[in-house]
Amino acid sequence: MAKKRKEILEVSNQISRRMLLVGGMQIAFGLILVGRLYQLQILDNASYLKLSDKNQFDHRLVIAPRGRILDSKNRLLAGNSEVFELVVIPARTKDLKKLLFNIDGIIGLSREEINNIIETAKNQPDFLEIPIKSDLTQRELSHLAIRSAILEGVLFQKNFNRIYPQGKLLSHVTGYVSGITEKEVREDRQLQRLVGLKTGKSGLEKSLDISLRGTVGKQRIEVNSRGKPVRFISDRLPKQGKDYQLTIDIDIQSYAVHRLKLGNSQQVELAKSSVQEAINKNAELKAHINIGETMILKDANSKYVPPETGAVVLMDVHTGAIIAMASSPAYDPNLFAGRLTNRAWHNLNQHPRVPLLNRVIAGLYSPGSTFKMVVYAAALEAGVVSSDTSYSCKGFFEFGDRNFYCWQEKGHGVVNGRQAIAQSCDVYFYQIALKTGIDRIQNMAIRMGLGAMTDIGIPGEKLGIMPNRAWKKNNRGTVWTPGETVIAGIGQGFVLTTPIQLAVMTARLANGKKAVKASLLAQSVQSSENFLPLTINSSVLREIQRSMRSVISSARGTARKYELDGYGMAGKTGTVQVKRISKIERDEGIIDNIDRRWKDRDHALFVGYAPYDDPKYAISVIVEHGGSGSSMAAPIARDILKFALERQ
Amino acid sequence: MLAIPWMMVIGMVILVIIGTMALYSASDGVWTASVQQHLLRSAVGLLIALFIAFLPINLLFRTSFIFWLFIVCLLTIIPFIGVGAGATRWINLGFMNFQPSEPAKIAVILLLARYLSLRTFDQIDKLIIYVPAIFIIAIPTALVLRQPDLGTGLMIFVGGLGVIFVSGLPKRYVLLGLGTVAASIPLIWGQLYDYQKARLLTFLNPEKDVLGAGWQITQSKIALGSGGLFGKGYLQGSQSQLDYLPEKQTDFVFTLIGEEFGFVGSMTIILIYFIIILSITGIGFRAKNRFTRLVSSGLAMVIFLYVFVNIAMVTGVLPVVGAPLPLISYGGTAMLTTFLILGICLNLSLNSFKEDIEIS
Repeated sequence: MAKKRKEILEVSNQISRRMLLVGGMQIAFGLILVGRLYQLQILDNASYLKLSDKNQFDHRLVIAPRGRILDSKNRLLAGNSEVFELVVIPARTKDLKKLLFNIDGIIGLSREEINNIIETAKNQPDFLEIPIKSDLTQRELSHLAIRSAILEGVLFQKNFNRIYPQGKLLSHVTGYVSGITEKEVREDRQLQRLVGLKTGKSGLEKSLDISLRGTVGKQRIEVNSRGKPVRFISDRLPKQGKDYQLTIDIDIQSYAVHRLKLGNSQQVELAKSSVQEAINKNAELKAHINIGETMILKDANSKYVPPETGAVVLMDVHTGAIIAMASSPAYDPNLFAGRLTNRAWHNLNQHPRVPLLNRVIAGLYSPGSTFKMVVYAAALEAGVVSSDTSYSCKGFFEFGDRNFYCWQEKGHGVVNGRQAIAQSCDVYFYQIALKTGIDRIQNMAIRMGLGAMTDIGIPGEKLGIMPNRAWKKNNRGTVWTPGETVIAGIGQGFVLTTPIQLAVMTARLANGKKAVKASLLAQSVQSSENFLPLTINSSVLREIQRSMRSVISSARGTARKYELDGYGMAGKTGTVQVKRISKIERDEGIIDNIDRRWKDRDHALFVGYAPYDDPKYAISVIVEHGGSGSSMAAPIARDILKFALERQ
Repeated sequence: MLAIPWMMVIGMVILVIIGTMALYSASDGVWTASVQQHLLRSAVGLLIALFIAFLPINLLFRTSFIFWLFIVCLLTIIPFIGVGAGATRWINLGFMNFQPSEPAKIAVILLLARYLSLRTFDQIDKLIIYVPAIFIIAIPTALVLRQPDLGTGLMIFVGGLGVIFVSGLPKRYVLLGLGTVAASIPLIWGQLYDYQKARLLTFLNPEKDVLGAGWQITQSKIALGSGGLFGKGYLQGSQSQLDYLPEKQTDFVFTLIGEEFGFVGSMTIILIYFIIILSITGIGFRAKNRFTRLVSSGLAMVIFLYVFVNIAMVTGVLPVVGAPLPLISYGGTAMLTTFLILGICLNLSLNSFKEDIEIS
C-alpha cells in the first residue's frame, strides 16, 4: 500500500512537472505571437499604413478646362467647347469586345481603336471609364442614343474640346493642341495619368501651355477589394487655366489675311465648273483645296492660281503691340483638337507651300531694298555721305572685275540719298555701302532691330543673319570681301531677316525716339516711355523718314501709285531676286515676273508706316514670288494700313 | 464556495462580447442575423456547459469511449452524408452545420485520459501500452485529414500527443516520437492534397502570389500592421470594411480586431485566452486524480492550439490552414466545442477533490 502510494505520488509529481513544462511551452509560443504582433503593429506600422492607403484609395487626376486666348477686344481666339464623349465602364459591361463590336456597327471604330480600348481595360481598374470616341457629332450622338438600351455600361460624358472660332485666321499665333505624345510622357511621367489631356504643340498654345493648362484637380476614390468605388473625396478642385489677351485685333487680322492672299488677282467663284476643272488638273490648286482653302484666284494672265503666299505684320509704332500678323498659307487648328486623320496630316505636312510654317517669325528673307534705310542711316551717321551727296547711276556699278547692276537698266542718272531711296537706286547704295563698311551697316541694323529675336512668345522664331566681318570669319571661316559689302548694300547676299524684324525696324524708324519692341500678349505691352532710346541721331532719322515719304510722294517714287489718301504713308519697296540672272538672260532682256514659273518669280516686299505726320502703325509685307515690291506688296500694305486707321 | 474557475468563465463571457462586436463590425456595422446567431449560440452553449458541469464525473469517464466511437462513426460516414464546398466537413443538422472534427478533439482527450489514467506505475515504462493510445489519436486524425482538413487534423494529433506527454511518457519515448515525426514529414507531404501543398508553399513565400493564395496573408498583415498601437477605431478598419480582408467573420476575425483596436486590442485578446488556458491547466494542477489532470491539461492544449494556430496563421507565422478563433469567430461547432470544454472544466473543477474516479 505504501509502495502504491509512493508510486502514485511519483506519477502525480511527474504529471505536475509535465504540466508545468507544457504550460511553459504554451507561454513561450504565446510570446512568439506577441513578438510577431509587436513587429507588425508597432515596428512596421508606417509601411503597412501606406500599403493600406494604397489599397483603400485610387487617386485620380481631373483635367482643368484650358485657359482662353482672347483678342484685344476680348473676342474669343481659342476656347473650350463642351463636347460629348462616349465612354465605357468595363465593370458595367458583360462582354467588352461584343459591346465595342456593336458600337462599331453604329458609329464605326477602327481596329486599332478597338484594340487600344481593350488593352487599356486590361491595364487599369475596371471601374475607371475609358474613352471610346471623343467629340461625337450630332449624328453619332443621336444614333447612339436611340440604341442606348443595348449598349450596357456605355455612357455619354461631357468633356471639353479646344476650339478656335477664328479657324485659319490666326492659326500661326494660337498654334494648336493635340493629345499627349510619347515624348511628352517620357519627360513628365505624370501626364500618363491625365487621360484625355491635350497639350499645346505649337504657337502660344505651346509656349503658354503650362499656364493655360491650369491646375489639375485631385480626386480620391475609396475602392473596395473588388475595385468598386465606395466614396469620392475631392482633395483639390481643378482650376481653369489662365486666360490670355492678345494685342491682335481680329477684324484687322481678318482683313490682313484676306488682302495678303488676294494680292493683285481676282477671286473667283469656287463652284464654277471651269474653276473645278482647273483644280482637278492642277496639283498645286488641289493641295490648297485639301488644306481647306476656299479662295481661288485668277491672275493677270487669266490663269487660276492659289492665294498668295507670304506674311504681313502690323504693329503699333508707340507700343510695339502687334495688331495683325498673317502668314499664308495657314491651317485650321481645329483639325488637331478633334480627330486629325492621317490624310489631313499628310495634306498639311506635304504641302508644297508649308502651311505649318509661321512665316512672320520663322520665314527668312533677304530684305532687299527695304534694307536701304539701314545703309543710308549708317552712311549718314558715319559721315561718309550727307543728304546732298550725289552719285551717278548709269545702270550698273563696276567693282573689281564685276558689274553690279541696278534694277533700272537705263540707270537713274545723278541721284542724292533721298532720291536713291525713292527710286530705289541700287548703284547709289553699292557705293555708299562700300564707303560705310559692313561693320557700321551691321551696327545700325542691330540698333534698328534686325538680326535680333523679338521674343513675342511664339516658339520657333528664327534669328536671321545680320553679317559683319567677325560673323563671316566665325561662320564661314573666310575674310569678308568688299564685294560682299556692295551686295549687302541692297539687302542681299548674306543678310536674312524675318517679316517681324522688318516691322520692328519700320516701327523704330517711324517712332524716331524709342527702340520699340514687339509684343503679342496684352500683359507684356509697355508704354512708349519704357523702351530704351533709339540711339540714332534725330537729324539722320528725319532724313530717313523724308526719304521713305518720297517713295510714295515723289514723282518718281517706286510706290507713287499707292498713296494712302487722307493719312500719308511712308515706306520702302523691295524686290528680291530668288534666281540669279545670267549674262545671257540680261542681254536678251529680263522676262517679266508674271511670265516666269511661280518659283522663279521675285519676292515682293514693302515696309511702311502711316500716318506720315503722326505715325500710328508700321507694317511689313512679304509676298513670296509676288513679283515687284511696288506693284504687289505696296498696295497690300497701303490697304491694310488704311483699314486699320479707318477703324480707330 | 464552489470551486468554480471564475477567471475562465469571465474570460469566456468577455470573449463572446468581443466576438459579437467584431461580427457587428464585420457585417458593415449592421445588426445582422449572424450577429444575433452568435449571441444566441453562446447562450445555448452556456446552458450546455452548465448541464455538463453538474453531470456526475463518472459519467464523463464511462461514456468517453462511446463518445469517441460515436465521433469516429460520424467522421467515417461524413463523406457520404456530409456537406461542404471542396472539403466535406459538415453534417447538416437543420439548425446548424455540425463539424464532427471539432468535438473529436475532446473525444480523443477524454478517451486517452481514461485509458492512460488506468495505467499502473510499471505499465507506464512499457512501449506496448502506448499502441492503443496512438490508435485513439490516429483513427480520428486520419479521418479528418482525408476530409481534407489539415488544420483540425493536426490539432487533434498534437492535442492527443500532449496528453500522452503529460501522462508521464518516459523521456526516451519522447525522443523516439520526435524522431518518428521528423522522419515521417516527407511521407505526410506525399499524402497532402495539392491545395494543401499550395497553402504551405504560399506560406513560405506569400509575396510571390499576391493576388492568389498569398492574398489572404498579405492583406491580413496589411490590416494588422496598419492598425498600429491603438487601431483605426471601431468600425473604421479600412481593410476590413472595404472587404480587402477575406474571411473576416470567421478565420480572420482576429485581424479585424487588430486593425480596429491595434496592438492594444490584439494583446488584450491574447491575454484573455492565456488566462483561460492557464486556469484550465490550473484545475488539473490542483486536482488529485489523474483523469482530471490529464483531461484538463489536454483541454488547455486544445484551446491553446485553437488560439495559437489561428493567430499564427493571420500574422503569417503559420500557413493558412483554416482554424477558427473560438468564441470570437462566427461558426457553430468551434463555439459549441469551446462551451463543451467549459462544461467539462466546470465539472472537473467541482469534482477536483475526488481522488480516484474509477473507484467511486
